[in-house]
Amino acid sequence: MSNRMAALAAALLALTAPAAMAQQRVSVTGEIVDTWCNVSGLMFGLGTAHHQCAVWCTLGGIPVSIRDAEGRFYILLRIEEDEQNASNPRIATIQTHQVTVDGELIERDGVRYLLVTRVADDKGVINLTHAEHGIQPFGH
Amino acid sequence: MRAPLLFALLALAAPAMAAEPWNIPHEKAVVLKGRVVDMLCQLKGDCPPGCGAGRRQLGILAADGKLRLVAKGNIDFAGAVRDLVGFCGREIEADGLLVENPAITLFFVQGIRTAPDQPFTPADAFLREWTARNGAAAEWFRADPEARRIIAADGPYGIRGLQPPPKP
Repeated sequence: MSNRMAALAAALLALTAPAAMAQQRVSVTGEIVDTWCNVSGLMFGLGTAHHQCAVWCTLGGIPVSIRDAEGRFYILLRIEEDEQNASNPRIATIQTHQVTVDGELIERDGVRYLLVTRVADDKGVINLTHAEHGIQPFGH
Repeated sequence: MRAPLLFALLALAAPAMAAEPWNIPHEKAVVLKGRVVDMLCQLKGDCPPGCGAGRRQLGILAADGKLRLVAKGNIDFAGAVRDLVGFCGREIEADGLLVENPAITLFFVQGIRTAPDQPFTPADAFLREWTARNGAAAEWFRADPEARRIIAADGPYGIRGLQPPPKP
């Protein structure tokens, strides 16, 4: 009976515990972006044209990503020791920056999640899009 | 007997509420049913109490095992963490738009309920809580003290010293 109980408990734990994910060490280079504006395409969501909006969205709690040159998104769930990934003012201050980071990549159900262990390079805002697109979405 | 049965079947088949379309590429109006979860907890087993008490991105773990990141709530420029965090670990129904972009899948929640016989509550907690802290504003994002501080320091383009031309 006790063996049966132990087996049942183990089965229940397996059902309720978070599933183990494939994890991979990676280095990612790209622009820090507001995920929603970029994916929805409702406004031009890159570079200087969208910086102000990206700050608002970060502080509003919308997930922040790194978008690489191939258009892949990496949702940031941790930056170094900082695990606040919703409405984090520190992340808002590096919005739109071109960065290279080292971290742990976890993929699940069509989404790449990134736990950054080190910001290896931060070039600041270098994607100058405002001459063509102005300030999105409402001006300044 | 047959007519009531037909009506009952139709009621079961029809969506309880259709989310407002936004004409976003790959969007699909759905009612997601599942458990509210902390994304870091689900992916790494790092599970503080209360799903991180509003400091972490949240998702919905659906009955089919799919984990959906909730990226957006019903307030402009705001997510849905404040709408979901009170339901941490509980089953909900979330009415909204599932955007299955080839590059990423996101969920935009517009309303939440905990039982099929309840109305959906609009996902607008961010603005209610922001207004309670800061007072009413026509546009929370322009009035937000932290946003104003960051944009005043770095400029609207994010480059210090680079300013847009004055408004006419």
